[in-house]
Amino acid sequence: MRTITILYLLKIQIMVSSIMGIEESYDVVVIGAGNGGLAATARLVLSGVKVLLIEQHNLPGGFASSFVRGRFEFETSLHELEGYGPANDPGSVRRLFEKRLNIDAEFLEVPEAYRVITKDIDAILPFGREAFINEVEKQVPGSKESVMNFFSLADDINAAFRYIGKSQGRPDQQELLKNHSNFLKTAAYSAQEVENALNIPKKAQDIINAYWCYIGLPMNRMNFTLYAAMASSYIDRGAYIPKLRSTEFTLALDKRIRELGGEILYNTRVEKILVENAKVLGVETSNGDKIKTKQVISNASQTLVYNKLIYPKSEVPEIAYKEVNSRIHGLSAFVVYLGLEKSAEELGINEYSYFIMDEMDTETLYHQWDSLGVPKGQATVCLNVANPSASPPGTSILYITTLFQPGAWKDVKPEDYVKVKNEIAKGLIVDFEKATGISVMDHIEEFEVATPQTFARYSRTYNGIIYGYEPESWDSLVPRLMMMNDHYYIEGLEFAGGFGRRAHGYSSAINDGELAALFVLNKLQVKIGVGVNK
Amino acid sequence: MTEKEDKLNITVKSNNKDLYSFMKLVPTRKKRIEKASNAPITSDPINQLARKLHPERQHMVISEIRDETKTTKTFKLIPDPDSDTKELAYFRAGQYLSLKVVVDGVLITRPYSISSSPTDALNGFYEITIRKESHGFLTGHVWEHWKVGTKVESSGPEGFFYYEPIRDAGTIVAIGGGSGVTPFRSMAKAIINGTLDAKMVLLYGSSDEHDIIYYNEFKEIEEKYPDKIKVVFVLSCAEVTLKGCEKGLISTDIIKKYAEKDDNSFFICGPQVMYDFIDKELEKLDVPLKRIRKEAYGEIKDILKYPGFPQEVAGKTFKIKVKIGNISKEIPAIATESVLVALERANLAPPSKCRSGECGFCRSLLISGDVYISSKCDGRRAADNKFNFFHPCSSYPISNLEIDIPRDA
Repeated sequence: MRTITILYLLKIQIMVSSIMGIEESYDVVVIGAGNGGLAATARLVLSGVKVLLIEQHNLPGGFASSFVRGRFEFETSLHELEGYGPANDPGSVRRLFEKRLNIDAEFLEVPEAYRVITKDIDAILPFGREAFINEVEKQVPGSKESVMNFFSLADDINAAFRYIGKSQGRPDQQELLKNHSNFLKTAAYSAQEVENALNIPKKAQDIINAYWCYIGLPMNRMNFTLYAAMASSYIDRGAYIPKLRSTEFTLALDKRIRELGGEILYNTRVEKILVENAKVLGVETSNGDKIKTKQVISNASQTLVYNKLIYPKSEVPEIAYKEVNSRIHGLSAFVVYLGLEKSAEELGINEYSYFIMDEMDTETLYHQWDSLGVPKGQATVCLNVANPSASPPGTSILYITTLFQPGAWKDVKPEDYVKVKNEIAKGLIVDFEKATGISVMDHIEEFEVATPQTFARYSRTYNGIIYGYEPESWDSLVPRLMMMNDHYYIEGLEFAGGFGRRAHGYSSAINDGELAALFVLNKLQVKIGVGVNK
Repeated sequence: MTEKEDKLNITVKSNNKDLYSFMKLVPTRKKRIEKASNAPITSDPINQLARKLHPERQHMVISEIRDETKTTKTFKLIPDPDSDTKELAYFRAGQYLSLKVVVDGVLITRPYSISSSPTDALNGFYEITIRKESHGFLTGHVWEHWKVGTKVESSGPEGFFYYEPIRDAGTIVAIGGGSGVTPFRSMAKAIINGTLDAKMVLLYGSSDEHDIIYYNEFKEIEEKYPDKIKVVFVLSCAEVTLKGCEKGLISTDIIKKYAEKDDNSFFICGPQVMYDFIDKELEKLDVPLKRIRKEAYGEIKDILKYPGFPQEVAGKTFKIKVKIGNISKEIPAIATESVLVALERANLAPPSKCRSGECGFCRSLLISGDVYISSKCDGRRAADNKFNFFHPCSSYPISNLEIDIPRDA
């Protein structure tokens, strides 16, 4: 009994000290230090706003993270960063990280776009538009013109997105009709519909559709504008990875945020967003802190905020539940992390990124993820090909990723969990070996698997989802951006991240975080007159 | 042709249909939202399973205490009926629990391997086996205070010291020293009840026959399952009277004698001196690294002996300025004790589990000053190193420090 009393007293002491440890009131409280939350916080403190960032884990990044096993440090989820780009043609992420925030993180260029292996294709695609188109032509003679048109259409789409972004969700219809007609005419269609209209031969489609798993919905449901923007960005600007895994840039952001006067509270979970009369009043944390703020930016999804965080529940408007329920929740992932006792050269791993699919029938592949089994589709990365120092000399890191509907895992019993995940992992390794002729199984020194449960464990996203809402045309970037002002049901509640306006992926979440910050800055300037320039 | 005419002009279905489809996007989305269910989402099976596999804490009560040797007891733990712990998390044989105990008014953690089998967890109990150390801060308290009915709080199952069929060889050559044998009891039980598909040769070092834990149990298992389990007791005392034991330390000769085939994965758990010794022995045998698994090194007790530790700070006490949130406090820290111990003495400790620099739960920011970290316990990420994050459990102060630590959740 004595033990309990002392524990109890200690807890009280800790609680009291923790409340004293935090100031009571902030201009903005950001919930979650994932890509979106970090970018939003960094952008806000850059303008001198008083921000508290609260993160449940003891380090930033969310899925943008890394972990150590033995002498290996694995990248948790990133394959390759889109939107970074070379110094002479920086993408949105590089412009934010380098120019505006000047963070201390080194990025390395990925050498080639990808190697795609299906039953009837085995091709290595280079970065650079011309080289890429030529390689597709080599693989599929006669495809050149149609693939060129794909990219030219992508240019029009990117120009239109820039225009819509500038218009803050209120584009002028006449302007769109006059200067962005190709965009208008494709915005409502799936990637498959437009690729067919462009007369891209089926086999060439299979090759250029390889990035589909980064969004994770079949090409007959994936919105074309989204796919074209992503694929063209990769091919034109190349892909980059942080040298010291994603933890490097998330810690660089953490550092910059604190240098600029932002506060970050780790190991603390926001349990309630306090709302009264449809206005945010503050947040309450797992440690019992009550923090006043009129403005919250949530890196946690709308699904979690409306179903779990808003307090009292009576403050959740019916339309918010409807909005969440109307949307299609995205997929979770399954990753096999391998620390190999031989170098990439010794093993014959020459490419950084492998897309290995039985056949590129994306709808069939997508539905494999509904049930437990070995999916016949994987995206596999060997870090050392782009980053020779990623592991000690004479070793290499290979990780194999596939996706799953979280529901496929819902009936797995704890006592069967290891067996289930190992069977899938083994199947994926064998499939990689078969497709490439590279021997991996006999060289495993470190082995780890992440399942939807693992992603749920660390992030607590709804059902362990790693992607956001599925961007079918009706819920793709265009309608999301054009309707973004309709979704403010509660005053002072803004969202940022992979469930946001730009759909999922690292760069989309980062860009959305910055966008959320700009909206909030705009609002705060009017209300409390915060200076924006520093 | 002008540039304008040369430009691609896409038609997907027809010009009118394409534009009309665009105009319908926002109305369609509005309609879909309006028509959707207004029911809140109340279930999240994946998070539920995640929490079952990895509970943040487990509240238990001691239901039985068994004397194993003069200095060793096994504690049987069952869910505390007064708590919200209704079942115990399943685990992989070899994993540990981080116990959270208040000793003399100080809240500390200690990792202990689970010595019962994973199947036992499904039947509602764990066992941990603890040896009393001569100057043990926790074990003294345990011997004095732990009775049947005492409440015990722990983490979920933690650690990576388990058999991994995709990576490991068919035979586990388990090298255990002293109370380091406890995870191998769990593995042996898992092997004989069929949940772990491997064979085991246990080379178990003790100082003398009275120090052997689970002697009768291992003998029985070996007799009943000769195809699966082989146990070799290795005694380091001058005179060995117990029949069938090996004498001395677990050397290459003994390893070669019992670990015959090549299909072996070495699993090592014991005191730090044993790790250092076995490392050299396995090196002689040219065992590849992928065939060697070691339990976390544990908190280093004699840091002065480690290469590179600045001897001149021995006996010194430094000051640590500790920041938690916006409060800061200055505490003393002895150079030969980890920063975590200093924080625990001041009741300021961040969460911790492995106490070996591996799990990262105590991860904190070093704002200024220098710490010593042994390469044996350096589990930092490369970026942690770059941005001065460190693990207080495996770092020793060698100057005054200023640190920022996370709160206990």
